[in-house]
Amino acid sequence: MISDVEDTYLVQRAQEGYQDAYAELTDRHGRLAYRVALRLLGNHHDAEDVAQEALITAWQRLPGFSAKSSFSTWLYQIVTRRALNRISRTRTTEPLDLVGDVPDQASGPGDTAVQRGAAEAVVRAITALPPQQRVAIVLHHFEGLPNAEVARITGSTVPAVRSHLFRGRRKLTKTLQEWR
Amino acid sequence: MTDLDHLACGCDVNEVIEQVADGRAGQLTEHQRDCPACQAALQEFSRLWEPVRRLAAEPVPVPAGIKAAVASQIGKLVSDVWYTLHLAEAGALRIAARVVAKVAGDAASTAPGVTVAFGRSTHRKIAGPAEKATLRHDYRHAAIGVLGSTAVIDLAVAVKYGHRLDAVAREVQRRAIAAVRAKTGLQDITVNVTVDDIVA
Repeated sequence: MISDVEDTYLVQRAQEGYQDAYAELTDRHGRLAYRVALRLLGNHHDAEDVAQEALITAWQRLPGFSAKSSFSTWLYQIVTRRALNRISRTRTTEPLDLVGDVPDQASGPGDTAVQRGAAEAVVRAITALPPQQRVAIVLHHFEGLPNAEVARITGSTVPAVRSHLFRGRRKLTKTLQEWR
Repeated sequence: MTDLDHLACGCDVNEVIEQVADGRAGQLTEHQRDCPACQAALQEFSRLWEPVRRLAAEPVPVPAGIKAAVASQIGKLVSDVWYTLHLAEAGALRIAARVVAKVAGDAASTAPGVTVAFGRSTHRKIAGPAEKATLRHDYRHAAIGVLGSTAVIDLAVAVKYGHRLDAVAREVQRRAIAAVRAKTGLQDITVNVTVDDIVA
């Protein structure tokens, strides 16, 4: 089964010109690229564009990838940079139908509507954060990455990441408090 | 509360928010067990962060077209002008070398003991100079001669632990040649097999 082989094997084969190996890497990590782009940018259209651009950029830069980090860390870097470029170009991001139907874990339709409203408020609050804080919040709290990994991805330091997280969380909490 | 840096007890608000955001609201410190200010803050921030945690846990449906779009873009970027060539009276029939390699790779994957197999055509090293040399030709594909009716294919194969590697490699070779012959009509086929990994 192809799922039995590790990313490093696929990366090596892709570097040697086996295009199907890269197709498998795209299959494995396309979800990651899109998910991070969506959380950073706040709309499906831009997220899809950025995820595709990132996966093509990764393929183009594959010959220079030295495997000092994992493929996923490297892809996080590319997606994040691409998303930041787009944020700096557009400056305003308008969330468009970002939140799907929230699973009905509550008792009635009223509660579901409240949950949906809360989720939309979170999306707006995140996309309103300054870019560096937004990246730290998304990578740490949504992707579950430790601070050291976030620092590696953003080319920063752990204290700087902690600082972005502190300030981002504070703003997020305040916005959510106002929303309630 | 979120405008203040410290709670009434002197604890740092940022530290309490971090505790909640990291899902450790239930892990009270010794101080927090006896501090009403900390307990109230933990409860309030937990309520506020609940939608964040819920959204983070929600699966994100990925658009189905991403993989195909990426493969298509990469296909355009690869200047792969190498084809098999059959000259017939009605016109030329070409099959891209990468398609031939894919046929071989897929056939190799079916051999017992193979975990994964990838195929590529072996033109890569000479493709650049050949393309440059024939850039001005009117019929570049035909002028290069490319693979003509001959295919040389590299297969990279990962084999399951416990199998005889030479036997697996021979079977891979046999299946790849048979599949390429059957599906492309090519007869003169060389398949180089490299077993480059063993998977438990």
